[in-house]
Amino acid sequence: MPSIDHEGLAKRLSRELSAAWAIARKDMRIYYLKPNIVVSGILFPLFMFLAFATGKNAPPGTLIPGLISITLLFSASSIEPVSIPIERRVKTFDRLLSAPISLHSLVFGESLSGFLYSLGIACLPLAVGVIVLNTPVVNLPVLVIAMILTSFCFATLGTLFASYPTENVGEVMSMLNTVRLPLIFISGVFIPISAMPQIGQKIALFSPLTYGNDMIEFAYTGKSLFSPLLDIAVLLVFILIFQLAANHLYKKFNE
Amino acid sequence: MQALEVSHIIKKFGPLTALNDISFSVGEGETFGFLGPNGAGKTTTIRILTGISSPTSGTATIFGHDIEHDTIAARQSMGIVSENSNVYDDLTAWQNMIFSAQLYHVARKEREKKTEELLTIFGLHERRNDKVHGFSKGMKRRLTLAMGLVNSPRLLFLDEPTSGLDVQSNLIIRDVVTDLVREGVTVFLTTHNIEEANVMCDRVAIINKGNIAAIDSPERLKKTIQSVQSIELSFNHSSADQLDELRRLPLVNDAQKAGDKFKLYTHDPSEVIDAVMAYARTHNLKVISITTLGPSLEDVFIRLTGLQRAGGAVHAID
Repeated sequence: MPSIDHEGLAKRLSRELSAAWAIARKDMRIYYLKPNIVVSGILFPLFMFLAFATGKNAPPGTLIPGLISITLLFSASSIEPVSIPIERRVKTFDRLLSAPISLHSLVFGESLSGFLYSLGIACLPLAVGVIVLNTPVVNLPVLVIAMILTSFCFATLGTLFASYPTENVGEVMSMLNTVRLPLIFISGVFIPISAMPQIGQKIALFSPLTYGNDMIEFAYTGKSLFSPLLDIAVLLVFILIFQLAANHLYKKFNE
Repeated sequence: MQALEVSHIIKKFGPLTALNDISFSVGEGETFGFLGPNGAGKTTTIRILTGISSPTSGTATIFGHDIEHDTIAARQSMGIVSENSNVYDDLTAWQNMIFSAQLYHVARKEREKKTEELLTIFGLHERRNDKVHGFSKGMKRRLTLAMGLVNSPRLLFLDEPTSGLDVQSNLIIRDVVTDLVREGVTVFLTTHNIEEANVMCDRVAIINKGNIAAIDSPERLKKTIQSVQSIELSFNHSSADQLDELRRLPLVNDAQKAGDKFKLYTHDPSEVIDAVMAYARTHNLKVISITTLGPSLEDVFIRLTGLQRAGGAVHAID
């Protein structure tokens, strides 16, 4: 029976995680305050939200879960589609591709910076809800899990789109927006899924934002379309699919 | 054990064959030059040897580790200095070095010590806390090389290390590479500067259109084309017509002008010297200096790659 080298495996895992963290920290230092990331990750979701929330005859506090959802979507998926094309252009991406780390760690490290950025930004609407609008969170653990999974899911989506072999940030952003923008309409952020037509309800099942938003609604109102456990499971499946797809595409496009 | 062993590598991009069954090996401690015109397959070879892309068929091993199947172990022992100074402009020199060390899993204490040491060697220690976007081209190049050495590699890939650099950076880089070679580091050098390869390399491979045209020491390669000899000379006055007139002298195959000197290529130097002296007398010129030269590595390169000279520069035929 073949023996497993647990010590070697643990050392390897620790090295891979450490390199992934180094990549994430590098991105944080370089890209977090880049103007196009601020616009795409902070201002864009805010204005989108204001455009749709204005005129809605609802108490402002009830809009906070939706604002958190779209902030997570846009901010998490905004770092890598900017940083990776830039790094391809200045050839620093080759440095990452030729380092003694696996592609999984590279993809994970890149996604990690989008994930942390998004969590930080999403704390703003959360704080506005709690402090200014006096909107209580009824289930904090679910909110934390929802924010973590939703954020990581969309950070990995951003890394996946950034695998497209271009040095042009605009090209990646255009492709990404053709997916991101429809998601906010079909995922129950502005229109409850139960109020959508049958076809819309079916399409909503394929959107990861549906499950993230559902959990966030649950955390605020105690009501949700699906069980939080199902939401968690589906988000984990989306993360796995995006990670594997990104890994495959980075390998394919570097041939 | 060989530092690098390449066996029957073929790389195809659709119908295009970029590398056509290339094989060679590089011994431990050897400085190996890899020369070829643009589009010959140098970059594709390096991308395969560093594990960025995979060969269509064939294998490459780095100190016994297959680069395709044991990629991480193979990469751990190499340092890569790319042609582009691929440093992070928005990070400081120190942060660039530490990041590179982290990617290569250098232990915390060791990476700080190594960073201090390398930044000092490359004359960047005083600027270690400055962001790199304010650095000159030569400083960025030195930092790129320092980053490639942070994991104390046994095999160093050096892509155009001194191309277009100032004298100070050039000297520092050459000195460091010379020291590395003395310490037993294997160097895989690609360069357009053929004289650099001639001076630095134990052996060179010349690649052309995806095929290895020759592999040998620079001196042995030169001996293969002894028929290409040249005479280098200068006159007390120069004029615009001299180059064309010299090119028309009997037995002169080609002529180039570099600064105040002319270089005449011939199979028969003694006959050409007589012709040059006669030309000088006719035009009332004095010959200031005249030297007979054997073939250079550049001549070998031109012969093997099918390039041709025109007006002192080298142009591709195709």
